[in-house]
Amino acid sequence: MEELILELKKQIIEVLNLEDMKPEDIDENAPLFGEGLGLDSIDALELIVLMEKNYGIKLNSAAEGKDVFKSVRVMAEYIQAHRTK
Amino acid sequence: MGDAIVVTGMGIVTGIGVGVESTLDALLHCRSGVGAVRYLSTAHTDIPVCEVPMTEAEMRQRMDIPADVVTTRTPLLSLMAMREALQQSHLQPDSGRVALINGTTVGGMEKSEQLYLSFFDDKDVAYIAAHDCGAGTAFAADFFGRFSQTTTISTACSSASNAIILGANLIKSGRADKAVVGGTECLSKFHLNGFNTLMILDRERCRPFDDGRNGLNLGEGAAFLVIERESEAKARGAEILCTLEGYANSCDAFHQTATSPEGEGAYLAMTQALADSGLQPSDIDYINAHGTGTQNNDSSEGNAILRVFGNDYPPISSTKAFTGHCTSAAGSVEAVISILAMQHGFIPPSLGFETPMADVPVVPQKFLKTGVSLTHVMTNSFGFGGNDSSLIFGKYQPEKQTHTSSVYDEKRRVFIGGASQISVQQPLGEEWFENPIFYNEKYVRALSPDYKQFIDPKAARRMGAVLKRALTTALSALPTADGSAIDAIITGTGLGCIENTEKFLRAMVVDGEQLLTPTYFMQSTHNTISSQVALNLHCHGYNCTYSQRGVSFESALQDAFLQFKLGKIKTALVGGHDEMTPDYYDLLDKVDFWDGTFAGETALTMFLENRQTEAAWCELLDTQLFFRPSEEELQCTLDAMLQRHGLQRSDIAAVMTGKDENADNNRHYDDFCRMLPQAAVLRYKHLFGEGFTMPAMGIYAAAVCLKNGKIPSFLTNNSDKNIDKPRNILVVNHFKDLEYSLALLSNV
Repeated sequence: MEELILELKKQIIEVLNLEDMKPEDIDENAPLFGEGLGLDSIDALELIVLMEKNYGIKLNSAAEGKDVFKSVRVMAEYIQAHRTK
Repeated sequence: MGDAIVVTGMGIVTGIGVGVESTLDALLHCRSGVGAVRYLSTAHTDIPVCEVPMTEAEMRQRMDIPADVVTTRTPLLSLMAMREALQQSHLQPDSGRVALINGTTVGGMEKSEQLYLSFFDDKDVAYIAAHDCGAGTAFAADFFGRFSQTTTISTACSSASNAIILGANLIKSGRADKAVVGGTECLSKFHLNGFNTLMILDRERCRPFDDGRNGLNLGEGAAFLVIERESEAKARGAEILCTLEGYANSCDAFHQTATSPEGEGAYLAMTQALADSGLQPSDIDYINAHGTGTQNNDSSEGNAILRVFGNDYPPISSTKAFTGHCTSAAGSVEAVISILAMQHGFIPPSLGFETPMADVPVVPQKFLKTGVSLTHVMTNSFGFGGNDSSLIFGKYQPEKQTHTSSVYDEKRRVFIGGASQISVQQPLGEEWFENPIFYNEKYVRALSPDYKQFIDPKAARRMGAVLKRALTTALSALPTADGSAIDAIITGTGLGCIENTEKFLRAMVVDGEQLLTPTYFMQSTHNTISSQVALNLHCHGYNCTYSQRGVSFESALQDAFLQFKLGKIKTALVGGHDEMTPDYYDLLDKVDFWDGTFAGETALTMFLENRQTEAAWCELLDTQLFFRPSEEELQCTLDAMLQRHGLQRSDIAAVMTGKDENADNNRHYDDFCRMLPQAAVLRYKHLFGEGFTMPAMGIYAAAVCLKNGKIPSFLTNNSDKNIDKPRNILVVNHFKDLEYSLALLSNV
């Protein structure tokens, strides 16, 4: 799980172009949206593509993403349970 | 009391009909055009669309355009609609001063996405010159004869509404007698995939204002109106179809692709359009809503309608389940539908509506209603970046006095209060003026300032170079930190965020239509620049974007000038922005675009205001655009312009020209300068390069000369002497002898 969390942080930094951030700057328990990283709806859509591309998980709407993208840890748990690659 | 603006012709082509008659028939028989994709080549065959049921070859045949003539589906659609409008109005474009104002965003993308890879093998590369938005407008203008000026508005899904607004303002100002106004957009794989990455495309027919709505359907089409002064329409015996009672554009300034929950931009657009028309909310008999069918739009628009009209709102419907969302053409498509509803006394239904929205108590018209009398109709169009426009049309009543909320007044003045640029000379600042750099390369990218001083890294992470430069110059051009005091943000850009557009296009063409991401797409609309500036300044004022090749910036400047003279604004930021990518540079090089010059990038924002402060650089006395002007027309217009300001030809100290090393280009400047033999001939492209919005740097350089009270010798064409204390500088630019612009600047 900790390995997956680190991998995920690296991927998030890359696809969201969080230029000045390092994995350790992201608190895996903090909310990704609103406070915390302060991501928005476009970032959520980018994360949906990330899930499909890297883990073979297809989310059908941005609303479904809301529950999955609560924090990096929640995301990692969801991936572990549903990944197809 | 002023002269009313009336509509004397209209033409329309959408998936529900080619022509006004078949459109009316489809509306009265509740016939939707939404269905499975037939003409567009895409992997997304499960996404319903609304296509005009004609191939490109059939359109060419109908308009008598041979297969080898370089043009694309978007302008072809516009030609069919324009011809119908011109015929109904019995108008020849070469009679008098008729402006052509087109709205589009996709432009030639539908062809570029098919040919993209073959461009690099030199095949079909001629089509690269038909890619940009302005190319189709210029093609249409040439097709019908001689318009007095043409420009293209690109504010995404409100483009056509804003084209109607500009046309009306041009007529009010006396710069045009008539205008052909509207928008055109064909379906492209590019924007179908783009909207798909935003996850807002319904897999079924869209259901605007329904609680179970699940997104929009894309459509395609074109619609154009002929508008003119009531007195002239009567004098020439044209049939008056209705009046344009009022209009407004506002910016939601909330998010690039989402609207605010309370619909602030929509609320402002509707209330200001009502104020412009002198009407009360209770005077509106029908609202043709933007109503896309997305969760976000319909609840936000519904809230805004409730805020304006209260619980007694008039009948509302969205006709997007008929035509699909025709994006840049939507504003004029729905203007025509609204006018038809008024003429024939019916309210079109919101097809597919079943269940009222749980969160917003707005219920649209479910069934077709006939036998009603509509005196005033409102139509809304909202675009990416929160670009929101409302139009109000009224039944023509010959005896009615016209309400005029804004009168064009020559006495209102416009000053260039400051400017900020990022170029190959210098990133920000005017020190280059004492010590310019001369380049020998063919392609030079602008120097970069420290963006972190201006843009929060969190916001900058998604921005391409052109956006960063635009925002930085806008913020540094402001005289104070209070950006909310800006009344208008207007941008000219030939290509918009071409770098990110190209990234999305390349990913789609090379990797296929799956797993594309939204970030690059949402920057691909040209109005991203104006929207981002508005977002950062929290500016809800007028917001517009022009994309007309070599006169994109001057189109923006003209619009600002009109807004000042109409008394609508006191301050404005006007920008000229373009970036260059290696690929686009190479492709344009293949069609000799850079012959005799080097390619440059433009980033300029001017701060304009209606009062003269100590910091003012100079006064903007006048602006003018032309399309294929004759020498006589240039002379007459110049003399009339000088006369308006009590000047004579000999009062012009210098003419700033777009001269480079290309003899064909320079010949037209030499011809022009012969009219002003006493004026020094200046140039600026040897310092900044060539590019669609480069004239912005010419106007900027002239303004710096007036501010400094000195024209340095390196700006003169062939003199080694500085010119001291210039009074008036005339800036002239042309693009391939098609589009011309003048800007007259005077010292303060």
